[in-house]
Amino acid sequence: MCRCFNSIAVSRVAGLVTLLVLLIAEGCSSDTASADSGSSTGQQQLFAAVATANTRDENPQRFDLGETATPAQIAGWDIDVRPDGLGLPEGEGSVEDGELLYDAKCASCHGTFGEGEGRWPKLAGGMGTLNQQRPDKTVGSYWPYASTLWDYIRRAMPFPAPQSLAVDEVYAITAYVLNLNDLVNADFILNRESFKAIEMPNKDGFFVDDRPDVSNPRCWNNCIDLATIKWLEVIAGITPSVHIKEGGTDARAYREEAEAGGSEVDAVGKSIHDSACKICHGNGVAGAPITGDRDDWRERSQQDKALIYQHALEGFQGESGAMPAKGGRAQLDDSAVKAAVDYMLEKSR
Amino acid sequence: MSGSDQASRRQVRVAGARDKAPPSLQALAAEAESLKASDRRGFLKGLLAIGGAAATGQAVAVTAAGSLPPLVPPWTRSLGRGVVSKPYGEPSAYEKDVLRRTVPWLTAESISSISMTPLQNLKGLITPNGLVFERYHAGVPEIDPEQHRLMIHGLVERPLIFTMQALQRFPSVSDIKFIECPANGGMEWKGPQMAGLQFTHGMLSCCEWTGVRLSTLLAEVGVKPEGKWLLAEGADGAAMARSIPIEKALDDTLVVYAQNGEALRPEQGYPVRLLNPGWEGNTSVKWLRRIEVGNQPWQMREETSKYTDLMADGRARKFTFVQECNSVITSPCPERPWQEAGWYEIEGLAWSGRGRVKAVDISFDGGVSWLNAALKGMVMSKSLTRFGYRFKWPGGPLLLQSRALDETGYVQPTLRQLREQRGVNSIYHKNAIHTWRVEADGSVRNVQML
Repeated sequence: MCRCFNSIAVSRVAGLVTLLVLLIAEGCSSDTASADSGSSTGQQQLFAAVATANTRDENPQRFDLGETATPAQIAGWDIDVRPDGLGLPEGEGSVEDGELLYDAKCASCHGTFGEGEGRWPKLAGGMGTLNQQRPDKTVGSYWPYASTLWDYIRRAMPFPAPQSLAVDEVYAITAYVLNLNDLVNADFILNRESFKAIEMPNKDGFFVDDRPDVSNPRCWNNCIDLATIKWLEVIAGITPSVHIKEGGTDARAYREEAEAGGSEVDAVGKSIHDSACKICHGNGVAGAPITGDRDDWRERSQQDKALIYQHALEGFQGESGAMPAKGGRAQLDDSAVKAAVDYMLEKSR
Repeated sequence: MSGSDQASRRQVRVAGARDKAPPSLQALAAEAESLKASDRRGFLKGLLAIGGAAATGQAVAVTAAGSLPPLVPPWTRSLGRGVVSKPYGEPSAYEKDVLRRTVPWLTAESISSISMTPLQNLKGLITPNGLVFERYHAGVPEIDPEQHRLMIHGLVERPLIFTMQALQRFPSVSDIKFIECPANGGMEWKGPQMAGLQFTHGMLSCCEWTGVRLSTLLAEVGVKPEGKWLLAEGADGAAMARSIPIEKALDDTLVVYAQNGEALRPEQGYPVRLLNPGWEGNTSVKWLRRIEVGNQPWQMREETSKYTDLMADGRARKFTFVQECNSVITSPCPERPWQEAGWYEIEGLAWSGRGRVKAVDISFDGGVSWLNAALKGMVMSKSLTRFGYRFKWPGGPLLLQSRALDETGYVQPTLRQLREQRGVNSIYHKNAIHTWRVEADGSVRNVQML
């Protein structure tokens, strides 16, 4: 077996020598002997370079990948705002302007007074409900920082058009939502300076994760007294349960569902097709149009149906291949062949 | 011999040769030939329905017959699809009920919503890519990887922008880790609501994730000593962002571009996402476009207004990152009831965001007494772990529970313990022992014992 493949592969990077080797080595003739010896210098140089790289940079501190991010590039993406105001841009907006913007861009989901439409978030109210049975977690009752409101409106609102608001619009809508929660007056104007004075009512309502907060001993016997246990049953009718069938979700049940609902031609036509036609029409053997392939069938199915039947029954020489009479199954009843044709047309519409 | 057996044998005998058919079928064949063509289709259908096929010959007999022994099924006597008829393969048509599902009333809009993994149908530990649960805050962005960039800046020596090609030139790592939404089971704090495993526990998936360690990228940019927190931000329409402490980032956080051997699915953050193993799924920011290094957390909407755990006293726990040790029995479950008395293997999944699952116990009597179950297959840190218990069901009712503990010694708590500590309004991080009531007929119901 010829060794020229090695020399070709390696010497590709070895410049001019490569061409020489490729030209001479094409036929794997004895001429390649000189070509091999000619490329060996290139190979040695290459391996030497790789070896050096391996010993020197096996585990580098840095890989020198990535491009320097310019200040302009960073400024375009650095949109976050922190509780200390870091990240707030120049600009301002009034409660008055915010009301107009809010009515136009926010009220359809969040409600005219921040009460929330449907299951969309409620923005205002709920003060004093956090320890109640049904707490209302709104901007005013729950959010610990006003910066979060500004940041979130800028990055993600309005829901259908995120990052479409101008900076002044973000200031104005933030001011208005604060006003809906009675946290600023109607004449308030929000900017970087006035931001500093805003204190959210629930700012001290959070504590950092201190779990695990429960300890369950690994008991083995008599761990609970069933007599003291209260039972809760699942509420009926709220779980999407179409797929949860009596007697289980075995494949058979779903096959029945899959095959039911087909038209009348399916039962007979499918059985004829699968046993007699599929051998070619299942895979396009001999240019046969594939059952279920709309493109294959588009032109054919526009022909007169009698002609299609005729081709199937009597045979047909087409551009892409030949259809033998009845697919070579001369014993098939004409109506059986037609049922198969109907099935194939229906599956390929 | 049953009637259907007789019919089957008769059919085997007649297949192929009409003249060898018994007199009854010969008569049918003669009748068929005398029918008008327009009547034949209906007649044929009737003929097939009774299992005979003499009128149309051998070919039909093969498919009209049943598939069970001694009959030879049609797929053994015909040819199947060829190669690349489906260049990207898909499950059998008979598996079409194995799907992600959502609870429509849970959210206002499917664009900002969640779907659940069909845990009841899955085997082993790995969740197939098409079944990993979804959670979007502004839908799935369609991102051109050529146009996508990851920027790392802030308190660093060298702010850098990486292309996808550059990210994939860094040394890669592959880890099998679960990912779980902290709201998994959150609909059931006040009582059992969902009549199915997919809805009680399906915000949970487990994949082999491949990418580059975040610590590798942070070494590349050079974090300044005052850098203590990172902000990870997505490129989706919510620009979803979370603050991550530097300790986690330098420990095991990955910047991931592949799952289960192929590129991330768009639903999972294509072309690149963060993965914080063992932590609430929301911190594993998808469609990752930016990491900023800072000296304090940013207090984003998703770490103040959301993903904070409201206690009974009105105060809230924040930065509740870890998904504590949890488990659930996946077979039987409401979707996979038992049929008749006899041998079954009770199976389930256990996981812990703090490390390896150490053991799983199961109870048949609602937690009065417990038995040790077997851990099956691979037991890996912050991965799903499968457990099993071989059981000969005598046919009566059971109260099935599983109780996992992890390598830190933490034992999965009861719902009563969690509610006593936290109340019922915290939404997130419900990892309580779950109860399935197996009825005498084998059906399974979701119940709570308090």
